[in-house]
Amino acid sequence: MTGQRGQPARRTVLAAGLLLGTGPLNTACRSAVAEQQGSGGGPRHGGTLHMVQGTDILPAFLLSQINPNFSVSRTVFNTLTELDHRTLRPRPSLAKSWRVTDGGRTHVFQLRDDVRFHSGRPFGPDDVVFVLDHLTKDTTSSQVKSVAQQVTSAERTGDHEVTVGFGKAVSNVWDMFEMMVMIDRESVTDLASGREIIGTGPFTVESYKPGSSISLKRNRHYWKPGRPYLDGIEIAIAAQSSTAVASLRSGQTHLALDLSPLDAAGIRDRPGFRLVQSDAHDLTYYIGANVKVPPLDKVEVRQAVAWAVDRQRVLAQALGGIGRPSSLPWSPASAAWDPDRAAAYTLDPEKAKRLLRQAGAAGATVDLYYSNTLATNAAIAQIVQANLEDIGLTCRLRPKQDAEYQKLFVSGKIPGLFVNGHGFGQLTPSTLVKGAWPFNAQQNASNFRDPEYSRLAEEIWTGKGDALTAAYRDLNELLLREQFVIDLINSTHTYAIQASLQGLAWTMYDGIDLDNAYLA
Amino acid sequence: MLRYALRRVPSALLVLAIASVVVFGVLHLAPGDPAVLAAGPDASARTVAVVRHQLGLDASLPRQYLSWLGGVLTGDLGDSYVRGVPVATLIGNGLGNTLELTLGAIVLAVLLGGPAGLVLGVAKGRLIRGATAAATALAFAIPPYVSGVLLVMVFAITHRILPAGGHISLTADPELGVQYLIMPALALALPAAAVLARFLSTSIRRVFDEDYIRIGTAKGLRRRRIVLCHALPNALPPVLTVLGIQIGQMLGGAIVVEAIFAWPGVGQLIIDSLKSSDYFVVQNLLLITVTVFVVLQTLTDLLHAAVDPRLRMERA
Repeated sequence: MTGQRGQPARRTVLAAGLLLGTGPLNTACRSAVAEQQGSGGGPRHGGTLHMVQGTDILPAFLLSQINPNFSVSRTVFNTLTELDHRTLRPRPSLAKSWRVTDGGRTHVFQLRDDVRFHSGRPFGPDDVVFVLDHLTKDTTSSQVKSVAQQVTSAERTGDHEVTVGFGKAVSNVWDMFEMMVMIDRESVTDLASGREIIGTGPFTVESYKPGSSISLKRNRHYWKPGRPYLDGIEIAIAAQSSTAVASLRSGQTHLALDLSPLDAAGIRDRPGFRLVQSDAHDLTYYIGANVKVPPLDKVEVRQAVAWAVDRQRVLAQALGGIGRPSSLPWSPASAAWDPDRAAAYTLDPEKAKRLLRQAGAAGATVDLYYSNTLATNAAIAQIVQANLEDIGLTCRLRPKQDAEYQKLFVSGKIPGLFVNGHGFGQLTPSTLVKGAWPFNAQQNASNFRDPEYSRLAEEIWTGKGDALTAAYRDLNELLLREQFVIDLINSTHTYAIQASLQGLAWTMYDGIDLDNAYLA
Repeated sequence: MLRYALRRVPSALLVLAIASVVVFGVLHLAPGDPAVLAAGPDASARTVAVVRHQLGLDASLPRQYLSWLGGVLTGDLGDSYVRGVPVATLIGNGLGNTLELTLGAIVLAVLLGGPAGLVLGVAKGRLIRGATAAATALAFAIPPYVSGVLLVMVFAITHRILPAGGHISLTADPELGVQYLIMPALALALPAAAVLARFLSTSIRRVFDEDYIRIGTAKGLRRRRIVLCHALPNALPPVLTVLGIQIGQMLGGAIVVEAIFAWPGVGQLIIDSLKSSDYFVVQNLLLITVTVFVVLQTLTDLLHAAVDPRLRMERA
């Protein structure tokens, strides 16, 4: 009996083994890898782009600038205008043209009349009014909320015209319009959970599996004729940077976002791959200092730290050479960029020791906090620790779980130094001091408050002409003097891609722009 | 029997109640503030406060606990603080994927461990037994996070036969789904296969010492028939017990394998949720795990009592 039962069982086992073990080797079968290879040649329609990123998208934060949403903020959505990468002036997008009057306090936009949301509903002035209103809500997260709060009136003034009035003319209006993706007011209640992600962009959301993947499909009714080229985009989530690299090197993935700098640098010289660096240079690594905590309450100690850090070593060993040393938060495209002042702090341990003695802080102890989930920050922290020990400061590393680190960071309760990265140095300088938490002139992570700083922040927000130029200069001097944020390296986001991916672009706020992308 | 079963229910409920308090308490003692993460980047203190209120995180801990428990009892697991997605959806997706991975690993463990155990137990050639013994020792010694990386290097990067990571459900597309499954399932299966092989070989050798095998041999039965029809069936029961234990271990090991292969299972969900202080997700996942364990334990006790009346009498 047993033998009779045993025979079919063995056959079943063998069949299952063959299915599991040799299925993919059979050339007649479809291959999960081969399906993701391009077929070669020039620009062409069709194909599915496979993308991998480190963390899941967070639709609730689409009106903020956050890394996880870079893959959908410009592929699924559009904005009224887009900043030109060279001139940093606005270019048409959903708005065909505009008029700025009343000394910069009134903006009249002529909207395109051929745009529809993915639901089929026509896009119009009421949608712009809705998004502006939505931006100002307490529960809406956005770094340009302060700009939206200056809006005193937003109304439809024609079938395809909207007029936006500001209480005062502020310099970073176009930053707001660059970040303000046009979300659909009819489905906004389901946006945060990802149940309905509806925009006007080149791709529609076919499916979204939270924590796993997002599937985008070509928007056949996209308002740009003949675009996009791609049939679709598959976005996978891989929490491990090394997994993303393996996926790219295996040919399974065309584009990897958020690789750790060292992993990204590893791709740079491999045949068949390219490491594309964003021209936004929107990523600056820094050491923050809580100015309420001794000995960091003394400006000489903060300056000593700035002189002690070996930025070249940080660049080479923690960032794989991607970026440039900088003592200022701005990227070269910014109006406040000053190459001489950006090189103000270099490695000078002797000067650092003198400053410590001057402050009576030689031999003092400082704690250095960082999020232990970010390998780059951990690497920077270790270099900084060694540098501070060299000048006679005892530096205790305090790695924290990310959630705890963020809680301390946001509440301004980090009792010492902290390693982090900030953005917003690439465009209008006022966006940094008005919207980025490390620098916010009203309240910031370092607890640095200064009437002069507040005045300068207001001046660069509302000033013009020579006064503005002078304010930038004074602001730079203040930042270099006070060192509540000790900037180290101005880096940039990188895109690790297979060479077959052509036409990759991005916005100045790092949203991936695949309007003209194709698989060669 | 019914009375015995009913007597077991209160203690099971008590265990669950204690577990719920412990799970809730431990997670709320952990550092981090979900409101900060839910409020988004560069959020003002006012925004964080509003979000905290909206999420009910400003209520007292007993009130938060009762609110959560009330939801669980009425089938509402709440929404993820960070993602805004219903927790039931997140857990449902993750659980299905983890089960898929574990089942694949069980199949491979049996396919690899069974024949290897048979060879180790009955093969006469020293070379083949030595090679099999070495292979099982290696499979047991190499942890899944190492074998996983090696598999990726060989089959995804060097030879590009299989995808390096990701997931397509077997039910959605079996042909592609199995290709995504092979490597993670294999990495998970190898140590279990080695254990199975070792236990099977030991069990077979023990059976070979039994009289009925000697009688069969003396009667002139062919060795193949003795092995397959008499020795193997009698050697299997203890191995099945070991397989059961291995399944539990594989479920635990799946967390590591899921990370290596970007497999969106429960392990990934727990890690992501812990990182972001998404208490609701973790609380519910842990409570579900405890519930499954308690239910299984209760069922086992009932089963024992059903087959052994003395047990019922002892505990009456």
